[in-house]
Amino acid sequence: MHELSIMQDLFRQLEGLANEHGARRVLSLEVEVGEFSNVVPELLQQAFLAFRQAEPLLSGASLHIRSLSLRLRCRGCGHEFSPPRLAFRCVRCGAGRVETLQGEELLLRNVELEVPQAQEVAS
Amino acid sequence: MSSSQTRQVQVLDNILKANDYLARRLRQDWTRQGTFVINLLSSPGSGKTTLLEATLPQLKERYRVGVLEGDLETERDARRIRAQGVPVIQITTGGTCHLESHMIEQAWQQLAQDGPFDILFIENVGNLVCPASYDLGEHLRAVLLSVPEGDDKPAKYPKAFRGSQACLITKCDLLDYFDFDLDEAMRLARDLRPDLKIFLTSARSGQGIDEWMAYLEERRLVVPAQV
Repeated sequence: MHELSIMQDLFRQLEGLANEHGARRVLSLEVEVGEFSNVVPELLQQAFLAFRQAEPLLSGASLHIRSLSLRLRCRGCGHEFSPPRLAFRCVRCGAGRVETLQGEELLLRNVELEVPQAQEVAS
Repeated sequence: MSSSQTRQVQVLDNILKANDYLARRLRQDWTRQGTFVINLLSSPGSGKTTLLEATLPQLKERYRVGVLEGDLETERDARRIRAQGVPVIQITTGGTCHLESHMIEQAWQQLAQDGPFDILFIENVGNLVCPASYDLGEHLRAVLLSVPEGDDKPAKYPKAFRGSQACLITKCDLLDYFDFDLDEAMRLARDLRPDLKIFLTSARSGQGIDEWMAYLEERRLVVPAQV
């Protein structure tokens, strides 16, 4: 249960972005959570709701979580596959040297901010 | 009344980037100073502190050793380490179920006053889930699995095993008393990390302790390659 800690990190990033853009509010955000990221999407969503209640910056904001399944590539034969069970071995040649192509992400992808309308410059 | 507009920002940033950035800096500092750092991960009660007690008397004869102890509450583990005559700082997280690199940086600044150190052990908070997500700047991550916990733990807590280079199966003196299938545990662990180095240990009988220490000494020598 470290989703609250992760939400804390995420919130700091959002605060930084809001400052950078002079935004008043975060309207929505998109986060990618890999199947093998050690984060439970439902718990992250709950942590987000807890922050939303406490932080005006997130008032009314929505969190969209994209779950990404695990994809591996064998460093031996180059085969790319989704492991049928959680094992980091090539399903074709049996080699144990595989790299993760997808599924370990914990990524803030997009943010939608509410920023004050730029003043029109009188000509 | 002021009007507002909506702005889309593409970010593409790792959410744990602040932790990971600091961890990398700590690792660089330790590598430069010649301090070999080990992060010990396990469930509560698998024998992290007992493993330290079994190895510190010999290690401290040859190396300057320090310990950072992570726990939710209490100084108990730090007292056990201090009794070995080894400098130790207790990090009490006050409810946080894992250590993060900023906690390590703070505690290290304190411990470093007793340094320099050749070897630094970080004993993480007892928990097989959350600590696996946080790089602390260590050179070696080792996960402990005790016989009474059961042989299915690697499958249930895969990230802890995937992210570790070494695994100690502890309390092996109890193998006769538990239905713990050693082959199954090792197979599950190696499914997650085929090159995982596995040690069968018992702090009580001394089984595997010399092999574990020899491995640490060997790994310590290759640290400069990890900058």
